[in-house]
Amino acid sequence: MSATRTRRRSTAGWRPASWPASGLARRRMIWAYVFIAIPVIWLMIFSLGPILFSGWVSLHRWDMLSPVAEMPWEGLENYRFLLTEDGVFPKALGNTFLFAIGGVTTNVVLGMAFALLLNTRIRGRTLWRVIYFLPVITAPLALGVIFAFLFNRNYGLVNSLLILLGLPRQGFLNDPNQAMLVLIAIAVYQYVGYYVVIYLAGLQDIPQDYYDAARVDGGSPWQVFRHITLPLLRPVTLFVVVTNTIGALQVFDLVFATTAGAPANSTMTVVLYMYNTAFKFSRMGRASAMAFILFGIILAITIVQLRLFRDRTVA
Amino acid sequence: MTATTHKPGLKLTTILKYVILIAGALVMLFPFAWMVDSSFMTTSEIQRRPPPLLPAEAQVQNFSDLMGVLPFGRLYLNSAIVTVSVVLGVLFTSSVAGFAFAKYQFPGRELLFYLILATMMIPFFVTLIPVFFIVRQLSWIDSYQGLILPSITSAYGIFLMRQFIMSIPDELIDAARIDGAPEPVIYWKVVVPLIRPALATLGTFVFIGSWNAFLWPLLVINSRDLYTVPLGLNTLRTFAAEARNLNLLMAGTVLSVVPTLILFLFLQRYFIQGITLTGLKG
Repeated sequence: MSATRTRRRSTAGWRPASWPASGLARRRMIWAYVFIAIPVIWLMIFSLGPILFSGWVSLHRWDMLSPVAEMPWEGLENYRFLLTEDGVFPKALGNTFLFAIGGVTTNVVLGMAFALLLNTRIRGRTLWRVIYFLPVITAPLALGVIFAFLFNRNYGLVNSLLILLGLPRQGFLNDPNQAMLVLIAIAVYQYVGYYVVIYLAGLQDIPQDYYDAARVDGGSPWQVFRHITLPLLRPVTLFVVVTNTIGALQVFDLVFATTAGAPANSTMTVVLYMYNTAFKFSRMGRASAMAFILFGIILAITIVQLRLFRDRTVA
Repeated sequence: MTATTHKPGLKLTTILKYVILIAGALVMLFPFAWMVDSSFMTTSEIQRRPPPLLPAEAQVQNFSDLMGVLPFGRLYLNSAIVTVSVVLGVLFTSSVAGFAFAKYQFPGRELLFYLILATMMIPFFVTLIPVFFIVRQLSWIDSYQGLILPSITSAYGIFLMRQFIMSIPDELIDAARIDGAPEPVIYWKVVVPLIRPALATLGTFVFIGSWNAFLWPLLVINSRDLYTVPLGLNTLRTFAAEARNLNLLMAGTVLSVVPTLILFLFLQRYFIQGITLTGLKG
């Protein structure tokens, strides 16, 4: 006991205010550090450290083979080149946005519609939900393979059906004007079940009282939807739109498995272009700059989301 | 729960409702059905226009032929080793750190927790090049370590576990301390049993993510012995590129998709729980 006391006194000089006084509390504190040690070290090595390093690399020219200390400094040259001279990057950025916005808006409408259907008196709600959710857990790579097969120009089932109906054969993934639309359709197919599940949960959180009150006032189903359901689903909508837009902006597997960016870069996306630049052409600096540009966009979306959330809670 | 926007008794709307739901379900199921169907066809049946509804004879040997091209048993084994390790790693590191952040006082707690929250916002592609570089410096390229170790922590997992563990009453933990239980025993005997549903939810998500992972294995793995299922499927895809072997490609796609489908059918409750949980707390 006295030993502990002397030790405590001797350490008092550098002890922060929150430093626990008793030996027992100190032992607990040490355990807490042990508990967080691996996760914290791991996140430093594989997340925080890398993002700083990535930012540093984006200001250099680097092929990953020459020593890190000898990377030639380029300043903002990589960013300047990508935004003003590169023939593909602006296109990839545009395609990525088109993919994200097209998929997310379609799915907000479809997801909400099917959730409304499932929220009525219906048999087998769990079964419906399972069926609609199946593609969500399926690898995008596998879905890409299946859909590339279905939409194949020559032997694909969709073209066979079109020809059977006397309609002209379509290029689909081979047609620069259609390929992105097909990719959006695949993404809509894959993720609509996620929206259904989220909206269904959102609908079930709306208190029945609101609907009862509306019925007393004689509101039509459309008025009820327009003035009760839709406004009360706003937080859910905001959440799915933001998280899914951020997710869709990072698309890689699906594009890799279907078009690999072709035809004529009409489906080239930022992460695929970054992957090619880094791992096919060994231009790590330029690829890192691409990553940072997209990251900046994603951060901006996140900040807007946080602001919208805060505004609503205040209002 | 009850009909809210429709008046009961309107037969036509009820019928219409089911027609729409069934049509939607058919669209959702069709690609899977067509995949299974054509995995039993010959390549010439697949390419016939229009293709037959069902194969003249189920070509079961597509699957054995596939094994000749690609050792699917080995792919399953590799994917299982990687996925199980990643799931266990994430569950352990997340729950243990979540416990510390939820129930302990220590200097730097707030700062470290905000740092972890900040890493949640970092998308994978921003760290891809540096992490690849680190893994190469560590000589983990083309190894299980390279596939597993970078993924055994999850900022999101720590956050989720902390939220759950905060709802455990302090009295339970204090009672165990009075009984003389050391801190790791409290974690294992008191905390872990109480957060099992949360662990199951996190585990299912990490499982699917790890099983379906493609880009990282594509970068890290070179030798076929270490191929995971998605890498194998990608090889089949290029193998079938000239429109031959489409039946093998479809058989391979069936085999790659089946494990996640089975897992989902058994654990769908946890998925739905997890989705709504993360979605509505967001």
